[in-house]
Formats: sequence, structure tokens, C-alpha cells
Amino acid sequence: MGENRGITAGEDVQTYIEANLAPRLQGDGGWVEFQGMDGDTLQMVFRGECSKCLILDRCCHWMEEKIYQGLGERVRIQAIRRKPFFWDNQ
Amino acid sequence: MAHVKVVRRSMRPEEWTDLRFVWLKRGIYEEKVEVTDLTIRDARQITENQYVFEDGEERTLRKGDMYFTPDGTAFIRGKAVIPEHMRGKNVYLTLWTAAEMIVKINGKFVGGLDPNRERILLNPYIDRPELMIEIEAYNRSKPDDERNPESMAIRGCRQVFEGMYLATVRDSVQALVYDYTLLMDIAHSEYFNEDYRTFLFRELSKGLDLVDFDTYEGVDEALRYVEEHIYQNTDFGGSGNVALVGHSHLDLAYYWRRIHAVQKNARTILIQLRLMDRYPWFKYTHTQAYTYETLEKYYPELFAELREKVARGQFEPVGAMYVEPDCNIPCAESLTRQLLYGQHYFRKAFGKTIDNAWLPDVFGNSWIMPQILKKSGVNYFVSNKMSTWNDTNRFPHNNFIWRGIDGSEVYACVPPTHFITWNMPSQIQENWEAYQDKEVGGQTLSMYGYGDGGSGVTEEMLELASRFEKLSVMPKTEIMGGSEFLHRNLEGNKNLSVWDGELYLEMHRGTFTTKSNIKRANRKLEELLRETEIISTLRWLKGEAYPQEQLRSLWKKLLLNQFHDILPGSHIHPVYEDAMADYAQIEKELMEILEGGRDLSDCDILNTLPWNVSVLCGFVQDEKGLACRNGVKGSYTLIGESLDTIHVIDGYDFDEYDDDEYEYGDEDADEEEDEDDTFTVHLLSNGNLHVTGLLVDAVLRPDGSFVSLKNAETRYEEEYVREGGGFNKLHLYADNPGVYDAWDILPNYKDKEIPLTLEKPLHVVRQDELTLELSCTFTTGKSTWEMIIRFFDEHGAVEVEHRVDWHEKHRLMKVNFAPNVLTRYLTCDTSAGYIHRELNKNTTWQQARFEVCHHRWMDMSEVDYGVAIINDGKYGVGLEGNEISLSLLRSTIRPDITSDMGKHCFSYMIFAHEGDHVKAEINRRAIEYNTNFRRSDVYFPDVLKEVLGESGLVLQAMKVSENGEMVVLRLSEQDGRRGRLRFPFRVRILNMLEDVQEEAVDVSYKPFEIITLGISPELLKN
Repeated sequence: MGENRGITAGEDVQTYIEANLAPRLQGDGGWVEFQGMDGDTLQMVFRGECSKCLILDRCCHWMEEKIYQGLGERVRIQAIRRKPFFWDNQ
Repeated sequence: MAHVKVVRRSMRPEEWTDLRFVWLKRGIYEEKVEVTDLTIRDARQITENQYVFEDGEERTLRKGDMYFTPDGTAFIRGKAVIPEHMRGKNVYLTLWTAAEMIVKINGKFVGGLDPNRERILLNPYIDRPELMIEIEAYNRSKPDDERNPESMAIRGCRQVFEGMYLATVRDSVQALVYDYTLLMDIAHSEYFNEDYRTFLFRELSKGLDLVDFDTYEGVDEALRYVEEHIYQNTDFGGSGNVALVGHSHLDLAYYWRRIHAVQKNARTILIQLRLMDRYPWFKYTHTQAYTYETLEKYYPELFAELREKVARGQFEPVGAMYVEPDCNIPCAESLTRQLLYGQHYFRKAFGKTIDNAWLPDVFGNSWIMPQILKKSGVNYFVSNKMSTWNDTNRFPHNNFIWRGIDGSEVYACVPPTHFITWNMPSQIQENWEAYQDKEVGGQTLSMYGYGDGGSGVTEEMLELASRFEKLSVMPKTEIMGGSEFLHRNLEGNKNLSVWDGELYLEMHRGTFTTKSNIKRANRKLEELLRETEIISTLRWLKGEAYPQEQLRSLWKKLLLNQFHDILPGSHIHPVYEDAMADYAQIEKELMEILEGGRDLSDCDILNTLPWNVSVLCGFVQDEKGLACRNGVKGSYTLIGESLDTIHVIDGYDFDEYDDDEYEYGDEDADEEEDEDDTFTVHLLSNGNLHVTGLLVDAVLRPDGSFVSLKNAETRYEEEYVREGGGFNKLHLYADNPGVYDAWDILPNYKDKEIPLTLEKPLHVVRQDELTLELSCTFTTGKSTWEMIIRFFDEHGAVEVEHRVDWHEKHRLMKVNFAPNVLTRYLTCDTSAGYIHRELNKNTTWQQARFEVCHHRWMDMSEVDYGVAIINDGKYGVGLEGNEISLSLLRSTIRPDITSDMGKHCFSYMIFAHEGDHVKAEINRRAIEYNTNFRRSDVYFPDVLKEVLGESGLVLQAMKVSENGEMVVLRLSEQDGRRGRLRFPFRVRILNMLEDVQEEAVDVSYKPFEIITLGISPELLKN
């Protein structure tokens, strides 16, 4: 693993996230979007309830595992929180 | 000399007591033995109680492991043996979790666990020490209904397994903890007498002085001390009389999908059943026939147990309705069906007709409800929000009489405090102090129990309740059922005040508009169900089978989606997807009933309305039609007799225009005129367009707003557009209500207007002998918004269609109308009569109603003329002095960040008319505008044409009775008139539950009355 992590790998990961993982987070009032991929770093934007989740790192780890199981790809998620204005007070 | 605030750094005596109370709680458990033989399997729920298991087999679950996945359900299994030395004692299963668990041991449902409770007493439900544990656990990341900060802190999709234990409890420590929970709450509460609180803190400290917190010796002495020095003290008096009703509010969908509510409901009910086993005096109220239906279907053992508890009077079905629906947007027939199907279920399941509506969380209540409730066997009404959530005015009553639009009255209770409380003395005292009908209303109602996601009453709440009577400082309290409270305090109470009007909630005003597609689908399907039932009934009269079960099931699906966090739009994205899928399924099945396997191409078009249909507002869908509304082809021009056939007058050749045929900005008026055309369009030097037709004379700005509108049908000399005002003028506002994003529109929403870019100014796009279409297009940079304005040859009304690709955030689009009409009120359709909304802003009550709900139409009229706006699926209206605004689209981000994104298409008709709205028959035109006139292979019986035709009544529904024996007609008077129907035979006058009340030949009706009649099918066969 770890080879050919260019556009194709990113698209695979994006497709996998949108089809398999994003609906799961939506089911809990959260929201995740693929932002980009740099090497094995996967940048993900988290909105909704995810944006203020105190244990988001656990969820990211779960997503990393799911991506590995689904695509055989080892990634490290860099979580970008996008809080709505009414929670953006710190 | 400057004042220096003293900061006390050492521990205050009260803090010392607080601290020791924490230590006391640590001593509750005498012993805990970990259950180590556990496995877990992760799954995701795909529909009601069906799951897809994730890859991998069951895995071992150990303390400290991560468990649960986003939107996941986990199945935990285990084995344990109660240790020898624990046998004979009360043994509990304990597990601290943020999830929601249904626990079975040795095949029996023993209880539920969730953030509000961590243990289950096992002894009554096990007959051997060997335990087979089965847990169905739904993870919830939004435990927003509990007070425990630890639970709030751990919420999230992935949890750490804190370990499962078999435990024994030190009963005396537990009892003392309950005493201190009760008394510390009073000591800390400003609702109680300050002297008593000082006394309490002193005595509570002395009580804890008796306890050794290492060995928990001295607890019995502390219990005695509290009994003798606190409970037996009568130096301090209290006042009040509070009825305590156990209840758990269950949102069928919200931050979870409705498929999850099945488990939430079962867990909630299981928990209450187990409490009833231990506390025989405990009574619990539970709403929504749907929740009982799902329990019966998926948890038959629990349902059987529930039924026993209902028979014993401990478990109380309340609410009468199928679900707790939104009570602003559903039409009168939907509300009627909520009661019809709800009550029929309760009769079948429990042999009871429920005489109360229990709607604690709904966002205001329509004025049409008292009549519908009353005629559905409901005499009592309960709804909390107006007292606790109003943002401007304090609702003046708690126990009162609510008078509806037709004069029907029901007893009503708007409890003074929230419907979720945890039965603390401070909450009870607060309820009493807030109670406004102390002198006339009897007891006040305090609901206790966790809710929103279910959960309900806890052991602690009941233990506290058992101690209340020992405290002289508290109001008198009484545990009772909801019905008992209502009957005892309201029935026959002549002293109650009367509230005559809608129960408007001064909050959540955005829910009339959020999620436009859901509201539009609901409107469309309400109408489609009406048409399908009518046509199916007419076919039944011809000898065909009536699809009773299917229609009932489709109605129920629609009613379920009228739940007060679905139809209002206050839910997460998957709930929206579920609702839209349900709507598509309902439509598909209804169309199959209407058209499946039938060649209707040569059939006549049926007019299902009991009046002659004019060309004014009708539309017939037809692939060959020359017109197009909302993307559907058809014809606008039709004419038909009451309850008879409709004839379409087809359009003729039409001209398509290119944009460049007009030169905007030309100083001289430019004219495009074809001598065959009915309309002429002049481009004026200021860029405005002057449109003239046989019946209309209008000047429009390039942005589609009207400078002038005159109508030859009415008074050509009268100007309908107020000079200087906006009329059909789009306004885009910044819409930032905050946390209640989907729910609220704030009074300051107009503070910041966002400019729209006019990409294509108004121009002619299409013309034939019957219609003229103009179009203009706006952009915001993210969204495009096309406005199509249609003029008609046959009448002076103007249709406006909007085709939108919407990609905004925190924006509200409205269209404003400033008619040249002097009036102080706007008349709004309620779907079963009209309501006047005051436009002046003199009082805070008027000011608070800046955004209200209407149904198919609204109207501003003088005596001789006025302007109505008739819509095809919009509900929110802004009242802005002498200007009104129709709320078109919002773009909220909580709970659903994609709310309302994407394509939309909707229309309204601007109808300038003579006379007031009654004389102008606005209600009929609005119903026509929302009716699908379609080809059908059946006709109405002559007798119905004769009796109902031009009776002035609306045929709200026509169906086969639930017992399959009668044709049921539901007729609604909506103009405010009295009258009489005369049948050539005796008809049965029914209530809305289809019970026969009496028989008559002449049936009289009052203003705004809805009557339900039953007719034997033999009498209706031509």
C-alpha cells in the first residue's frame, strides 16, 4: 500500500467516503466531506454535530479503519471542523 | 473609597455539604462483580427492526474497548453467574452508557439502560443464577435530554465500554442519597423560602456529620436524623396543589430516523413497565397510536404486558391521534384522519376511545382544531409550548377553555412548565408559581420524565415523589394519570376563562417555510388522497372492490410524516430522505389505484368539486397540452359543471420569443404586436413593460414586480398596486436565527437585505391566444432564480411561477405584496375556514405575530375590492404593516446542513378581485388551483349533484366507511354561512370517528362547521 496515491486514489477514497461513511455520520446529525488528499493524509471537513464533537478523533480512527478495510488504503485523517456561526464562540 | 468585592476562597459550609453528598453517592454500590464473558456485533439499522451486520464475526467485548459506530446498533451477548454470596440479595445489572439499550436475560425483557439510568434490578425476572444476556443497543450521539454533564461530555458515535457488572446496593445509603437529592435541590433552589433553605443546609450538614465515608457506618443514624429534624419539622409552610403525571416525550424522528423510534419506544415502555412492577402506585401516560402499533408488531411480549397494565390503570394511552402531528400545516382532513386512525387503533387495542389530545411539543395549534377534536371524541387538549417558549408574551392561561373557529369548545391545559422535568421539588414549585389559574383551575399539571428520545421516568423520580408528602414546605402533590387530572380539574369547571382563537406559538415561525419540498409534497398528497378516495368510492358504487387497507396504510404513511419534527423541517438529513421516499411511494401507489390497468384516454375529466368550475384557476395535466405549469404539461382553460365533467378548451398556436427581440432601455416605447395575439407588450423608456390584454392592464419592472395592475373584470379604473410599495417583489434576507436554525425566523430578519443581480430582465418568452408568459432571471452568485409571470386571456388573474436552483446558506427569500387596499387585517385560509390576522402593530401580541401560517390563500380586501394570493404549497406569511410577504425558501443548516438545497418549482396566483374574499369566491378558486382535474371512468350519482351542487360546501372527503358499510361524505363550510342540505332520503349524521349520532333528511350546518354524513350505498346508485 502507499503507492499511487494520486488523483485516482483520492477519487476512490472520496467515492468510498460518500457512499459508505458519510451516510453513517449523517445518521447521527453529523456531516463529513472529502476535502483533499496529500500523500496518505486525508483532509476531511466535518460539519453539523461532528463540528463540535468532543471525541471526533475516535470517529476519525474508525473511518481510517473502514477505509483500510474497504480500499486497502492506509490514510491519516486530518479533521477540519466547520462550526456553524452559533457554535463558533471560542 | 473604592468597594472591594470579597472573594471567599475557603470552603463554604454549603460546599462542604455538597462535597460530602458526592462521597455519599460513591457508597451506593456494596459490591460489583464484572461480567467478562461478553461479545458484540456491530450492525446498521436499515428499516424497522431490520439490520445489516458489519463485516466480521462477533468479537469479544472487554472493559476499555471501543464500541458503537456512527448510526450503529450493537448486539451484545454475554454469560454470567450470580456469585453465591450475592444470592438472596437484590442483584442489579449495571452499565454506564450513552447508548440506549433493551436488555433481555434468559429470554425475558428485564429493563432498559440509557444515559438516564445505569442499572436494572434482576431478581423479579430471573429464576436461576446462570444468566444469558442479550442486549440490543442503539447508539445516540445527541443525549440532549438529560442533566448529567458526564453524559453530555461523552456523547459521540464511538464509545468506551465502561464495563458491565452484577452489583448489590447498600439500601440505606441509597435511601439517604434520595433524601439528600430531594433536600439539596430545595436547599439550592431560589423558588423556596430563604429561611427554610438556611435551616435545611444546617440540618443536612449535621446529618452527614454522622456518616463515616470510608465504611458508610452511621448512615442509619443519618436517615433517622433527617426524618426527625427535617421531615418532621412543620415550622415552614408551603402552598399549592400539583398533579404529577409521568410522561416521556418521544420524537418519532428528529436527530434520528423514524426507524430508530421503534426501539426508542420499546425501551421507553419497557422501562415504565418495570417501574410499575416495583411501584404499583406509579402511573404513566404514553401518546401516539403509531408507537403502540409498532410495539405490537415488533415486541409482542411487551405489548401483551402493556395491555395488562392498561387494564389495571397503570399504563395510560393518551393523545387520541395517530402521531403528535404538526398542528399548523396539515389540512383539516389530515387532522381528522390523525384522530380517526388513532382512535380506531385505541378502540381495537384497548377498547378505549381516548378523550384527550396530548401534544406537548407542537409548534402552535390551528384554530380549526377544537371542532375536529370534539367531533372525534376528544374533550380535552394539552399542549405545553405556548407557556414555556413564547418569546414575547406570556400566554395568559394554563387551565382554560379553548374555543375554535366554529364555536366548538374543548377543555384545554397549557401546563406552566416544560413537558420534560425530572420531578425535582424546585421544578414542582416553579410550576406552581408560574400557574396562572390558581383560583379557578384546580390543580396544575406537571409532567415528569425524560423525553424527546423517550426514556421516561426513573426510579429516582418515583423515590422523590414518595417523599414529597413529608415536606411541609412543598406544594401538595398527587401522582395521577393525564385523564384523571383533566377530568378532575377541568370537567364542568364553570370558572375557567375562554381563549377564542388560534394557539399561536411565538417562536418556531420558520417551520412554516423550512424544507419547502416536504411541505409541497404533503399538500399535493393530501389532495391526491382526496381524489383517489373519491374515485375509488365511485367505483365501489359501481361494484368494484374498494382498496380500504391500502388507502388506510397510505394515509397513515402521510400522517406519520406529519409528525412535528418531520413536516416542519426540524430534522437531520436522513429524515428528509425518508420522508421524500415515503411521499414518492404514496404517490406511486395512489396513481396505480387511479390509473393502473385502465385506459382512461377516452374518459371524461371529472370535477370532484361541488361547484361549477371556471377557467380561472384550474389546470388539467395533459401531455398534449400547450401550457406548462411547474414543469408539467397541460391546459389552463377548462370549464365544468359541479360534480360533473370538465371540458378543456385547448390552446392554439403559440409564438416563442427570443430575448433579443426587445431592446431594453430604449427611450421610446417599443411595441411588439402581432394582430393575432390577444396581448400587447410595450417596452417603456424606463425599461418597464406595459402589458395589455382583454382583461388586464399591467406595468411591470424588469425584476417582475408590478408598478401597476388593473383588471377589467373588476374595475378597470382601480389600481391594485399601492404606489411606492413592492408588489411581487423578491427580497433576499440574511436569516441567522441561531441554534434553532430550522425552527425560527427572528423579528429582525429584514435588517440585512442581500442584493439580487438581475441577470435577465423581464421579457416575453411565450404567447398564444390564451396566455402570455414573461420571464426574468436573478442570480446571487450561488443560486439562480427564474420568475415566470403568466397573463391569461380569459381572466385578469396573474400566475407567477418560480424555478429555482438554490444554493444559499442562512438566507430567506420572500416575495412582497403591497396592495392598494386599506385594511387592518389579512384574511388567511386555515383549510377549514378563514382567520383574520391583524396587520397593525399596536400591541406586543400583534408585533409577535410577524410571521404566521396560512394554507391555500390569503387576502387583503376593502368592501368593494381586494387582492388575494393563492399558492400551491407555501405556508409562511410575513405581516409587515400594510405590506405582506409570502415566505418562499430558507437555507438553514441545523439540524440539516443541506436543508432546501437544490431545485424547486412553485407557483402562486395573484387575483385582483371585486368584493371581499367571500363575494369573490377566493376559497373556491384556491381549491381549484390545488386540485388535479383528471380523467376518470366514473361519475357522481345524480342525487349528490343535486344536493351538494352549489350548496356552498366543500367536499373535504368522500370515502367508504371504516366498517365498509356506508359512503362517508365530509363537508366543510368555509365561508362563514349557515345553511341546510335536503336529501331525498334519510342520511346518517356521523361524528368524525364514523359513529352514527342520528339520522335526518334535512341536515343543517353552521358557519365553519364540518359535517360527516353516512349514506347507504344502495341510495347512491344511479
